[in-house]
Amino acid sequence: MTTPTGTEDGRMATVITVGAAAGAYMDTVVVLEWRVAPGDAVRAGQVVAVVETAKAATEVEAPRDGVLSAILAEVGAEIAIASPLGLIGDDADATLATAIQPAEGATPTAPATPDGTARRADAPRSTSGEAWTDRIIASPAARRHAETVGLDLQAVVGTGPGGRIKVRDVTAALRGRDEVLSELAPDPLPEFVPAAVTEAAHPLAVTRSGPDTGTPILLLHGFAGDVTAWHAIERRLARTHPVVRLDLPCHGRSPRQRFRSFRDFIRPVLDTVDALKAGPMHVVGHSLGGAVALTLAERRPNLVRSLALLSPVGLGTEIDNHVLEGLCRAARPESLTPWLRRLVVDPACISDAYARAAMVAREDPDLRASQRALAASLFPDGTQSINVTPLLRRVTMPIRLVWGRADELVPWRHALAAPGRVALHLLPAVGHLPHLEVPDTVTQIIRDMIVCAGSGNRMADRGGVP
Amino acid sequence: MAIMRYAEALNAALREAMTADPSVFLFGEDVADYGGVFKVSRGLREAFGDRVRDTPISEQTLAAMAVSASMTGLRPVLEIMYADFMPLTLDALVNQASVYGYVWGDEITLPFVIRTQGGGGLGTGAQHAKSLDSFVAHIPGLKVVAPVTPADAKGLLLAAIQDPHPVIVLEHKRLYNTRAEVPDDQGPVPLGRARVARDGSDVSLIATSRMVVEAEAAADRLAESGISAEVLDLRTLRPLDVEAIVRSVAKTRHAVVINEDWGFCGYAAELSATIMEHAFDDLDAPVERVATRDMPIPFAESLETAVIPDADVITAAALRALA
Repeated sequence: MTTPTGTEDGRMATVITVGAAAGAYMDTVVVLEWRVAPGDAVRAGQVVAVVETAKAATEVEAPRDGVLSAILAEVGAEIAIASPLGLIGDDADATLATAIQPAEGATPTAPATPDGTARRADAPRSTSGEAWTDRIIASPAARRHAETVGLDLQAVVGTGPGGRIKVRDVTAALRGRDEVLSELAPDPLPEFVPAAVTEAAHPLAVTRSGPDTGTPILLLHGFAGDVTAWHAIERRLARTHPVVRLDLPCHGRSPRQRFRSFRDFIRPVLDTVDALKAGPMHVVGHSLGGAVALTLAERRPNLVRSLALLSPVGLGTEIDNHVLEGLCRAARPESLTPWLRRLVVDPACISDAYARAAMVAREDPDLRASQRALAASLFPDGTQSINVTPLLRRVTMPIRLVWGRADELVPWRHALAAPGRVALHLLPAVGHLPHLEVPDTVTQIIRDMIVCAGSGNRMADRGGVP
Repeated sequence: MAIMRYAEALNAALREAMTADPSVFLFGEDVADYGGVFKVSRGLREAFGDRVRDTPISEQTLAAMAVSASMTGLRPVLEIMYADFMPLTLDALVNQASVYGYVWGDEITLPFVIRTQGGGGLGTGAQHAKSLDSFVAHIPGLKVVAPVTPADAKGLLLAAIQDPHPVIVLEHKRLYNTRAEVPDDQGPVPLGRARVARDGSDVSLIATSRMVVEAEAAADRLAESGISAEVLDLRTLRPLDVEAIVRSVAKTRHAVVINEDWGFCGYAAELSATIMEHAFDDLDAPVERVATRDMPIPFAESLETAVIPDADVITAAALRALA
């Protein structure tokens, strides 16, 4: 069953389909094998592909002489029997864009309903300029639901007819996240108060938890945060690794200072890390802490074994000024909560208890004033004045970028500035606080990174000192 | 509260309307001496004399008479024995009844009623089993009702007779002997209001006339699979209760529209388009349409059953919507 379709310049391309070979009772087939490759010349009747039908492997023949110009269903793909397997053109240039779906009369294969109407979902889909594989088939209600909760449909597996995404699929995609959130919800307030082992001897406040031995994990929070920001993943990581949390300058329990530049700002961090004498560490930095972590890795390469940057600043130019200002102004949990919730997709993950804990240090007007000054210096007029992108090329440890696709403060597209060596994790339906929104996922990414950084002799490769 | 047959409820409405308003009169083929072939007008000739009249077999003339009589201030109730004969009345409906109000403004009203009955399932064959709902529901200026329960049969016929405009009452031959309670004080049922026959949350079965009965049976079967189906009885085909449809679809996100007329260009298509226009973003699946197959109604019972939708077909459609 084939249909020639006109191309823009008048050439004809022909669609290869399984057609009647599939049998009357089949809806779909699985592609087992392609016997020719794109660009190969084919003869009419030549077997070009093998598909699996209900009972047997069935050979699919070329409908005419020509050149296989495209494979539209790869090996392993399950497709409706009316869907095109590939394209035959007069030359290798024929494309899907110029050959449209099987035309009228070519697809009498969809089963009829009792009232005689054809099943729509099984009918071939119009390409209308989009690649077949990229088009998302979702019900209107599913689209609206996903939009409401900030979920990207690209990440949702459809279980409706023809793979259509239905509301239940969006709900299922959200469920994993909700389970994590419900685990977080019952936490009593004291969970958020820094553990007793806070050391004031260093230039910055240091909080330790977890076992005494092993390679430590250093956590660097973002702007306007403090040690409490990590509570969700700290509990997970501390089961296996020593966890060290710093309060950045002007944050939490660290001294309030005024800085003229990011260079000044980073100085106490370097001094504190030096003073820890903890040896090599895995470093995780969020937002502003991400820029700090990357700078630390560049200045102290021997102390940073691997680097995870969660929604970091310093890789692009824009940043949402209103949210920054709102966070700086907030003097009570009631005024802080709405701004924190602007940072996340599901507001439920900012519990009242969390907001109260995050507000403890912020009750100090001095801290708020110094943070306002810091914001004016680092992010003037909604612009990031820091640019740490070049540092990504200068460091050699494993690096993972973790970004929520729904991050409205720092757009995930800034990640595209990273060199190809850097791994990128794009998290659907996650905002600017992935470690709070999807702590299990972020923990897993960090653990994978640690495993990855633990093998091989990387330092020797670059001629450095272990 | 009395248990009444559907035909008896219609009879009660006619009796009540004729008693209350001397301008109401009945005419049609075999409505007087014989009491109507389905016995809807039984006993009315005896009670009201010449206000109940038999006529020759000439539906085209009868419909024109109904229009004309209503223009003089009377309230005629015409019975067309089978809906299959409604095409003979269409000139009076399309070119007279539905346009006179428009052409002459408020100078005239046309308070007449045409009662007819359609539907299959009794082996009456290709010329006596059709449902031509869309023929009449298509015409602006007409109102069309299709009662399912005896109570609605009485209430909607009373409302139709009282309405100042032409109303077509579509009865169903398989409903005449169904029995249910009718309140003693059953008054007119407002035109244009649907009825939730069964509350549900997973799929909306939106049906007309006797298809409501099949939809309720389908809902029973779906319930066995743990599926909660809502059954909406439209009651009035025109004007359509869009709000009730949208409310139901917004709740269930899945819609099956069911009508015993043919599918192509049929009343079910109107329902489907209405849902698309008013509730598209609520839909989690394409609207499923259930209608009679596009062919004459067969005489043989086995074939008739295959052509006219039933609970099986509706159940299958609901499951497709929910797939």
